[in-house]
Amino acid sequence: MSAVLSPQPLLRKEDQRLITGTGQFTSDTWEQGTLHAAVVRTDHAHARFRADWSKVRQAPGVRAVLTAQDVAAAGFSGLVNSATVEGPLGQPQVVCRMPVLADSKVLYVGQPMAMVIADTAELAANAAELAEIDYETLPCVVTFEDATAAGAIQLHEAAAGNTSVVFENGDRAAVDAAFARAAMTSNVKVVSQRLIPAPMEPRAVQAWHDAATGLTHVRTPTQGLLSMLGMFTAITGWAADSIRVHTQDVGGSFGLRGTATSEHVLLMLAARTLNQPVRWIGSRSETFLSDWHGRALTLHGHIALDAQGRILAIRFDNQVDAGAFNVYFSTHIGARNLAVTMGGVYKVPALHMRSHIFFTNTVPVSAYRGAGRPDLAYAIERLVDHAAHEHGLDPVALRRLNFIAPADFPYTTANGTVYDDGQFERVMDCALADSDSAGVDQRRERARSRGRLFGRGLAYYLESSGSGAAAKDQVRGRIEGGGLTLHAISGASGQGHETSFAHIVERELSLPSQRIRFVAGEVGRDLVGNSTGGSRTLYGLGSAIVNLCSQFMEHGRPQMAQRWGCLPEQVLIKGGRWLHASDVSLHMSFQAWLDQAGAEGVELIGQASSGATFPNGCHVAEVEIDPQTGVCDLVGYWAADDMGEVISPKQLVGQVHGGVVQGLGQAFGEHAVYDRETGQLLSGSFMDYFMPRAGILHSFHHHSVPVPTKLNILGAKGVGESGCSGSLPALANAVIDALRPLGVTQADMPFSPARLWDLIHSGRH
Amino acid sequence: MLINLTLNGTLRTLDVPDHTLLVNVIRDHCGLTGTHVGCDTSQCGCCTVHLDGRAVKSCSVLAAQADGGQVLTIEGLGQAGLHPMQEAFSRCHGLQCGFCTPGMIMASVDLLRELPQPTREQIEEGLEGNLCRCTGYVNIVEAVHEAAQLMRGSQA
Repeated sequence: MSAVLSPQPLLRKEDQRLITGTGQFTSDTWEQGTLHAAVVRTDHAHARFRADWSKVRQAPGVRAVLTAQDVAAAGFSGLVNSATVEGPLGQPQVVCRMPVLADSKVLYVGQPMAMVIADTAELAANAAELAEIDYETLPCVVTFEDATAAGAIQLHEAAAGNTSVVFENGDRAAVDAAFARAAMTSNVKVVSQRLIPAPMEPRAVQAWHDAATGLTHVRTPTQGLLSMLGMFTAITGWAADSIRVHTQDVGGSFGLRGTATSEHVLLMLAARTLNQPVRWIGSRSETFLSDWHGRALTLHGHIALDAQGRILAIRFDNQVDAGAFNVYFSTHIGARNLAVTMGGVYKVPALHMRSHIFFTNTVPVSAYRGAGRPDLAYAIERLVDHAAHEHGLDPVALRRLNFIAPADFPYTTANGTVYDDGQFERVMDCALADSDSAGVDQRRERARSRGRLFGRGLAYYLESSGSGAAAKDQVRGRIEGGGLTLHAISGASGQGHETSFAHIVERELSLPSQRIRFVAGEVGRDLVGNSTGGSRTLYGLGSAIVNLCSQFMEHGRPQMAQRWGCLPEQVLIKGGRWLHASDVSLHMSFQAWLDQAGAEGVELIGQASSGATFPNGCHVAEVEIDPQTGVCDLVGYWAADDMGEVISPKQLVGQVHGGVVQGLGQAFGEHAVYDRETGQLLSGSFMDYFMPRAGILHSFHHHSVPVPTKLNILGAKGVGESGCSGSLPALANAVIDALRPLGVTQADMPFSPARLWDLIHSGRH
Repeated sequence: MLINLTLNGTLRTLDVPDHTLLVNVIRDHCGLTGTHVGCDTSQCGCCTVHLDGRAVKSCSVLAAQADGGQVLTIEGLGQAGLHPMQEAFSRCHGLQCGFCTPGMIMASVDLLRELPQPTREQIEEGLEGNLCRCTGYVNIVEAVHEAAQLMRGSQA
């Protein structure tokens, strides 16, 4: 087979290294003389223990065994919980932080108890097996019902009823009044089951210490260098300027890479103590038990309608499984993210929600693609569909009647969120036309003639993308080597920022993207920036880059004035060019300026403050179910999305593909299942955990309907998480539509063949 | 034990413990880290390389089984310029984070060796042993389809 050189350039700047195997993921590089770590994890869901580590310490090749005593001696605190809320009467949340290593009690299978450091990974793993641990097992709880039952075993002394907090948002009295006068009401309970995030690169950490400078270095996949650094300092108590965080290529993150875990800080401690580099590369089985899990929410939605079908109120009663401890993001998921867009795309005069955040003997839960927002979109759009069918209304007409209209913007929701803009009806009409809504009956009939159940589901999601934790995003631009180099904090984990940011500069300054380089990472301590999360980096950092571009043009204005012998005000700026206001022969492009000797070394900082945006869209799915087997085929999928200003169209659609398919994974099979009696994770590897595979989505149509936002300089909205928010409800509505003739009105994901077969043959028809 | 293998055209002799896996030889002993490890149950396909011209999951092959064999990794695939499959993956946006990509490309090249003109269904079936969490596979299937056309064109 002959390799052929093609003149066509690669699509992304990232691609050359990634398609040739020269990318640098964390486990792809290591220092000379690196030691290897293995983690001793408990295999009990709930137990007290006493451990004897002496045989581990004496095993061949072992350099150190770190236990809870070492962590205490080092003065480390527990892992970080990033958000707390209060109950409606100001009741404080009970926050139970996870210890770096368990001391005398374990609360979930997989909880780390010790770290063994040895000359090789094999010696470390072998030594870990020699630990002698006596357990006194305790009953465990893995469901809401068991955790909150009277007399249930309590995980934490401080958390009565295994409750962290019951949070409320909105106006309960107004909602109650609306329900009292409603002509029609409906309710539906939606379970967004626990998932394993499973980015393809397993979690990995390397740490080394430079005694000369006193710096401890950490290399790990992360979606936020500064937030990671903040957590490291919070846990270790070490000065921020004694820690350096490094990341190069990151093999997917989806919310998971935002947090410091036990392995990070233990390796930092080991590197400093032993003064030798240490690495830990998580195995996939290990990451199933130690990466934070996602979703694990139950949302019970209620809707009140007047006689015409106008929505009077929506209420949610939510159960939010935090897992065994409060880590990082779980409270934010259960509180802010389930409240912020509670009314979806509809005019809803009264809103109220209650979220019960509780503890179970399971892996702690944190952010996973959308972090509560896809779950909420799923619940709202199931609720609206369910209400329409229950009361004999057309689901599309019901949505149309209740949409917030273009004239209503800016629109303040009943619980205080301000949506800037949107054209929901126009977007839905695109999706209806694209998906040939007129031909549905024919397709349904054709499927029936083949003995198959046909279902069509439509959903309209609206997201509130991340507002960011830092006050602004900054970027440093430097003219060097005949090009423009951009430095910023926010790194990528597959989003193609090196390419998109070059596109932005190319658009602003007419500078060919080959001459633009984007480097993310810790580049001095002077820049401020956000993590890559909440779908916000493109518009957050991208807006700072637009600002940087205008600063470069302003920087050149006095130079041009001097050169042309005119006043600076007489120099106009347009499309990456300086133009004399009256003499058309006088002009210069940014590119030509950059080629001059004087440009080299010019350095400016661009910045922008960008808050949340409101990406939205209408997704339609059509399915056919074989009643003999319960197998559900997705036969058509149409997405019409308003993502605001589009920078890189192909990458945008790629993000939608990925998001939609993560939703399909949840819809069709993904489920982290715990045994109710023993608390063992039953789906603990890719052998038993469903992962979407090639072919899960083979017919996909995308329609971009951009309504640029004024909420950031770029005009773009968050893209990354929207696919999930569209596909979860569209798929659920389609599957239930297919089963409705059999009397099924609600079913929970995953829609596995077994579950669907059971519904079809359960004798309801 | 002593192992002789030809890795990307270069003969290598290595002294490794008997139970060493091929993927560890490639990554740890030879420093070719383009071949990735994404699981421990041979499900993900990130470690796919060619052994004597056939795609194998190198986490499921002992180095001893490769003794005397020809091993081709992602680093060797494009030694004479990018392979059409590598180009097609980029142009069709068949990769995002890129972690699964080397294995996905090596599996796809072998797929076209067996089926030079595959249907989309055959591509989907042929890549069942390779997991990707970013792309939803839509553009991966497109890339393999395009590479098949490119390679057919180059042979004509």
